Amino acid sequence: MIPLRTQVKFFLENPEGVELAAFMGVFQRWIQQNLLEGLMIDVADYLHVFDGPGIVLIGHASDYFMESHNGRIGLLYTRKRQTDPDLQSQLRNSFRLALRACELLENDPTFTPRLKFRTDEIEIRFADRLQIPNRPESLDLVKRDLETVLGELYGSNAVHIKPVQQDARHIFTIKATSVSALSIADLQRQTSAEH
Amino acid sequence: MTDQSWKERLGDQIPEERSREIETFAGQMELRRQSKLDEKVFAETRLRWGIYGQRYDNGQRYDGVKTQTLVYPAGDLTKGPNTYWDAPGMLRIKIPFGGVNPEQMEVLAEVADEYSDGILHVTTRQDFQLHFVHIDDMPDLMRRLASVGITSQEACGNTVRNVTACPLSGICHDELFDVTPYAKAMAYFLLGHGDTQDFGRKFKTAFSGCEQHACGLVNMHDLGLLARTKEVDGEIKRGFAVFVGGGLGAIPQQAKLLNSFVTEEEILPLAQAIARVFARLGEKKNRNRARMKFLVEQLGIDEFRRLVYEERDKLSPDERWSAYVDDVPGYHETPPHLPTSLNGHARPEGFDTWYQTNVYKQRQQGYVAIYINLPLGDMTSSQMFALADIAKQYAGDTVRTTVEQNLLLRWISEADLPEIYSQLKPLGLAEANVNTIADITTCPGTDTCKLGIASSRGLTGELRHQLIAKIDTLPEAVKDLKIKVSGCFNSCGQHHVADIGFFGNSRRSGNYLVPHFQLVLGGKWKQNAGSFGLAMGAVPSKRVPEVLEAITNRFASERSTSETFQDWVTRLGKKEIKAMLEPFTKVPAYEVDSSFYTDWGDTREYSLGDIGVGECAGEVVSLFSMEITKAESTHFDSLIALDEGNYEKADENAYRAMILAARALNRTRFPALTEDPNKIVEEFRTQFYDTKLFFDPFAGGKFAQFLFDRHEFPPTNKADPDAAKRLVGEAQLFIEACYSCEARVNGSIIDLG
Repeated sequence: MIPLRTQVKFFLENPEGVELAAFMGVFQRWIQQNLLEGLMIDVADYLHVFDGPGIVLIGHASDYFMESHNGRIGLLYTRKRQTDPDLQSQLRNSFRLALRACELLENDPTFTPRLKFRTDEIEIRFADRLQIPNRPESLDLVKRDLETVLGELYGSNAVHIKPVQQDARHIFTIKATSVSALSIADLQRQTSAEH
Repeated sequence: MTDQSWKERLGDQIPEERSREIETFAGQMELRRQSKLDEKVFAETRLRWGIYGQRYDNGQRYDGVKTQTLVYPAGDLTKGPNTYWDAPGMLRIKIPFGGVNPEQMEVLAEVADEYSDGILHVTTRQDFQLHFVHIDDMPDLMRRLASVGITSQEACGNTVRNVTACPLSGICHDELFDVTPYAKAMAYFLLGHGDTQDFGRKFKTAFSGCEQHACGLVNMHDLGLLARTKEVDGEIKRGFAVFVGGGLGAIPQQAKLLNSFVTEEEILPLAQAIARVFARLGEKKNRNRARMKFLVEQLGIDEFRRLVYEERDKLSPDERWSAYVDDVPGYHETPPHLPTSLNGHARPEGFDTWYQTNVYKQRQQGYVAIYINLPLGDMTSSQMFALADIAKQYAGDTVRTTVEQNLLLRWISEADLPEIYSQLKPLGLAEANVNTIADITTCPGTDTCKLGIASSRGLTGELRHQLIAKIDTLPEAVKDLKIKVSGCFNSCGQHHVADIGFFGNSRRSGNYLVPHFQLVLGGKWKQNAGSFGLAMGAVPSKRVPEVLEAITNRFASERSTSETFQDWVTRLGKKEIKAMLEPFTKVPAYEVDSSFYTDWGDTREYSLGDIGVGECAGEVVSLFSMEITKAESTHFDSLIALDEGNYEKADENAYRAMILAARALNRTRFPALTEDPNKIVEEFRTQFYDTKLFFDPFAGGKFAQFLFDRHEFPPTNKADPDAAKRLVGEAQLFIEACYSCEARVNGSIIDLG
């Protein structure tokens, strides 16, 4: 069984001056130019909502949010529709597609200076309270698969994972941290390597 | 991970009957997947479970450059005609009388996270909606809601929709009595009732506790119940004045009084009898005339009443009619804290401003209610969890949704206010300005609705932004105005009952289409939707903020003391309003200012969707444009005639306006002139109606019927004010439809058959 939704968030390293409204045009262009894998459907604007989803690129199997939850702007990728054979595949694909979106954003001339995403800190969320409730022991349910996938991405660089302590009603969230200086491009190279 | 399903996990928490119904629906889904269930049947089935389609579910989307085909993994499998299985949909969740408890709030928050985009949306009928939900997720979503007593059943489709009630019921200073238990009884009595399953269209019910405020808005509902008391044998009996046949839609209609006093024991059987008459005699083939307001109009209220009571006499007794009445006296909410006063308590920064607009002093001394301002009716799961905690600690048993897309916490002990405010602020739930001009109601519009013509949410977001910035400088008379925005003429944003309403449409400018909004002025929110506004003219979407400023500035400077906005609009007159709007109607050329050619909140070049702008010869002022101007002008004359009380003239001009508009359309195909209305209508029918060229993808040919009806059946009494007003409104819509048709066709033949 795999979770209903798996989410991966990469945070901006240079969020100062970034206006989320600008991503509306960016996401619309991604649809026009078919820049992402999978079916992309529409762009939703939730900028009026406090600490809300921001600007969302809605797809069939994937959503991409540019959001500023807890004041931290980043790209939140959501994998839905459970088309992967297992959790590891779901995580692998989630990271791969999130990194592709980060790559596109880092290379987008809309933003001056160019956007840059951190890789030393990532959030992984599991929106499935039935299978992965927000309890400390839920870490055991995902640890092995998550560490495998993070190991593939970060290679010999150590990555530490730890549940984020929060209201138990919220979805189970893990913070992954690393002291590595890898770039988005570095991580992307690892997603295309044989595992 | 667990192998357990939600069905297994929830088990007995779901009432047996609900569980069985959800299983049946899941089975129907499977039959549809296997193509063993007709798509039209399945569509109505899922609608009756509150499962709606969303924009682009026909597999097409204009991306700003071209129309893209959306290829879904499930291929050609559909969940209704022209509605792909995999396409994201909307779930409408019924909340009878708008009442939710903290446990329900938490489950709503959970499902928004797991099945939607994390947003809960409050509608203009006190429901919640979740968007971008996949149909495969619906059974589990429904199970989780059912486990806490919430249903989406009959939230959509040809059913009894959510029963609404004033959110101040039970705490209002002016109500006769708390209508909450009655609304609740009605909601659950009619839900799934055998006599409510064969309607030709939806059926909306509302309860009001008072007459003078907006309250439950009974005047605009199919069935409206207004609290009344009557002395019978020395005893004060509770009952309701019952109104029928109201509705907004494209052409609003005020409800008519069925009975000035119906006892508590009688309201349920009377509703059942009304349902039977509607099911039996209501229009079923022509959906555009299938609402009950048309039936009441056709029969006349006296005959409708006779039929209802004839039906009432045939009903077999049902103990449910009166069983709930015994529980009414005991109905109450329990506040967690004793009543207190705010005096002397420290007030955080911003508190006083918030207090002025967002706090309502209940009639129960020492208690207040707090409005939570939800921008565009939206909130996050996180906000909902936090609000549930606040409600548990400080509020009465239910939090209420409002038709103005906010929430209301009730039974708050006044001294708790500063602490509650301090908790709401970091959550983004302490925004002031509820019930002011900055608190704008809007439908989903082109964001998600298939019928949307212009971006109501985009416009509302911009207006809010501008109004909030200057709210402190606005005169009180302006601050008190209500703005409501709909994405099209169907008035889901309730623009007809706003002081200042807008509904989306479009106009051509050269080779382009430009989003516009029709301005509707002078609706009355108070007195239960006391009267409806009138269309004044269309302005480009991007100029609406300027129009709003011009109108409100002028109102502020010209109004006499205590003159209402409605009275000022009437005094100003339509000629003057039209003259005021005129400068704002101009659209700059695309090369001069291309921003007019995109809508608010959307970077794509504007389009009417799948049918985009046709290739054309590039005339800036077409023959059609010149001809249709005559129709507009004649229509305007009909508005003036209404103003002057000359209803016969209003009727004639409205009819003539439609003839001229039809002629304008005819001339795009056949330049030959004729002034003969018979020939014009015949030509129009042959060339545009029978060929379906006039048919809009979503409205079909409904507006053509307005012309045909008036042409073939001129009224016997042209001086009838109601009929004249209605025809003037219909003529406006017919003209709009001619614009849309010309934009689609524009010199090339497109077969919409």
